[in-house]
Amino acid sequence: MKNNKKLLWMLLSALVVLVLAACSGDEATDSSADTEKDEEATTSNDGRKVVIGGLWDLTGATSDVGAPFAEGAEAYVKYANSKGIEGLNVELTGKDYAYSIPEAQKLYQEHRDKAGAQAIIGFGTGDTEALRQQVAADKFPFVSGSLSESLKNVEESPYNFLVAASYSDQGRVLLKWIKDNHKDGTPTVALLYNDTAFGRSPVEDMKAYAKEIGVDIVDEQVIDVKATEAQSQLLNMEKKNPDYAIIQQTWAATSTILRDAKTLGIDTQFIGLNWTTGEGLFDNVDAATAEGYMGALINAMPSEDVPGMAEVKEYIEGEGKKLEDINAKFVQGWVTAKIMVEAIKAAAEKYPEGEITGEQIREGMESLNNLDLGGVAANVTYGADKHAGTSQIKIGVVKDGKWEALTDYISFED
Amino acid sequence: MRNIFVRESGNYKTSYVDDMKLFGTTGEKVKIALIIGLVLLVPVFATNYWVGLLTLCVISSIGAIGLNILTGFTGQISIGVGAFLGVGGYTSAIITSTMGLSFWISLPLAGLITAIVGGIFGLPALRLKGLYLAIATLAAQVVILFIISRWTSVTGGTAGMVLSRPSIGSFTFSSNISYYYLSVVILLITVLYATNLLRTRVGRAFLAVRDRDIAAQIMGINLFRYKVLAFAVSSFFVGIAGALLGHYTMIVSPELYSTTVSIEYLAMILIGGLGSVLGSILGAVFITLLPVGLGTFVDMVVVYFPDLYSLLSAFKEFAFGLVIILFLIFEPGGLAHIWLNIKKYFKLWPFSY
Repeated sequence: MKNNKKLLWMLLSALVVLVLAACSGDEATDSSADTEKDEEATTSNDGRKVVIGGLWDLTGATSDVGAPFAEGAEAYVKYANSKGIEGLNVELTGKDYAYSIPEAQKLYQEHRDKAGAQAIIGFGTGDTEALRQQVAADKFPFVSGSLSESLKNVEESPYNFLVAASYSDQGRVLLKWIKDNHKDGTPTVALLYNDTAFGRSPVEDMKAYAKEIGVDIVDEQVIDVKATEAQSQLLNMEKKNPDYAIIQQTWAATSTILRDAKTLGIDTQFIGLNWTTGEGLFDNVDAATAEGYMGALINAMPSEDVPGMAEVKEYIEGEGKKLEDINAKFVQGWVTAKIMVEAIKAAAEKYPEGEITGEQIREGMESLNNLDLGGVAANVTYGADKHAGTSQIKIGVVKDGKWEALTDYISFED
Repeated sequence: MRNIFVRESGNYKTSYVDDMKLFGTTGEKVKIALIIGLVLLVPVFATNYWVGLLTLCVISSIGAIGLNILTGFTGQISIGVGAFLGVGGYTSAIITSTMGLSFWISLPLAGLITAIVGGIFGLPALRLKGLYLAIATLAAQVVILFIISRWTSVTGGTAGMVLSRPSIGSFTFSSNISYYYLSVVILLITVLYATNLLRTRVGRAFLAVRDRDIAAQIMGINLFRYKVLAFAVSSFFVGIAGALLGHYTMIVSPELYSTTVSIEYLAMILIGGLGSVLGSILGAVFITLLPVGLGTFVDMVVVYFPDLYSLLSAFKEFAFGLVIILFLIFEPGGLAHIWLNIKKYFKLWPFSY
């Protein structure tokens, strides 16, 4: 009998959790379930509200870069609201999906049905690609931390927008730079990536482009995104002795690669795509190991003196912090949210009456022409058949424990 | 006229036919009708968000029943469910998106092809038991995912494939509610099949294999045949669930079918109750909704401690694990057993012993 009671208690406590969930669900849905009707009813211009749903990776495999990205995006929306956005009230409700696609799908439904979101800021390649059909069906514009080339396809993902050069474009710029700057003979390149949609995204495009311009891809190695050891892969790579190795990882695996390469005495020049660059790299390797490491920069470092950084500084200092407290991924989140808010602004100007829908935000986004980001990132231009804002990146290098830009924003097409 | 509230008390059955009746009393028929009615009425009073979540529960239930046929009924452990879901999803994606055939053809085909694949990976079950079989099925998980992510020309590689929602004539199951009904109908068929399976020769053979395979063999049960059959039947339903899930999310990609998914399905049937159809459903609902409930709990706490969000989000995983451990310790019989206990309590009240 005693045992039975225990069981009942357990059942009850489980029920309580679920019932609580149900209750809070119902409260919020009253507003969202009826949004469609309300959209017609409310025509007053003040207090128009746009909800952006955020899918953040705060605890998952890529949380090393995901957490500052989320922080930056939330910071920009807060900053923009304090400055006023065409009389709009833009709300960003972001939650953690821990880099797991099923969680992202549930969270997306929550944003859509409970919070009544009209636009989404996502993060990972896997989840962004997994949701592209749904956002197309629901007509929600979607910007993301992911810059996968396949999202460029307007036919297949009509509501996805790329806020910076796609991974493939970054890879092409790097390959072109290698071709242009390599001294003797044909440069040989190895590709190091992880076995996820994110890691594999640029691989085929880079191989095709390398063939086109005459760079030899001599080796490919798969290194897990959470790897703490990569010696076997690096030893395999060393057999082919490539001049360069292009890394598609986040900070964690990149620092593993650099550290193990130093241990093994490999003299290959390592170059990374955008998620490998930034200050977080030095959390796991000392500056001497990272010295000379190169990478694609799609946005400015907080320490860089560009006009667009003034507003970041204003916000950060308003929070009682310093620019040293944030990093490049915070800036990327900031820029991503900024482009979305600019699109909402453009939509609000075009449609001064009524609530703003996802379709209108998409129109607003497509009307953005050479949007000036003040040097914080390459200016972006969208159009009805062009959802990739830019193909430009800066190439940076680590010098004395700091990132320095070697080039201005360049594209492989120039 | 028998009173509909009459419950069976004691065993008064006089023939085998009586004993085999699925719905012995009028009360039971009414009860089943009420439950089905309630399930079908859910979209009327639930919000769109909850209908979406429940659709996921229903789809997981189909997969969990499938796995329970293998693990609960036949006693063969499998850690390859995630990959089998993937086989179902990808089969349906290839048939509908690449070959352009209808969903109504691809759904059963997805089940059949997954059944064949499951049967092939079930072959080692003849020689392997317990932990050894678990590792062999883990190999299925790895091999299938490897093929899916490398066979780019057919599967689209890591980028995955896109699917569309099914349609009949001009009606498309694009809304949450319509897809919920579609899934519920398939779940009902699955439940009916699984419940009846236990009443057949094949079902009894499964149970005999589970309880003691050597004894079963001595009684004339062809072990090889029934073990592979169990893998095939189980995989059939997992494949159907995979196809349904694929068309629901409108995408299939290798990252959706990781080992974590396999473990989650195992957790469903462990928490729900091994060898119980009701348990599979309860477990699937529990495992699907638990993260949502925990998430909502975190949201409520965060209102008071806004800085703790990322810490509490990590805590969610911890709580998830804790719940599973508590279940294994205090109620190995699962949710189905708890339900039975509650029923017994009220049935015998106030003279329970």
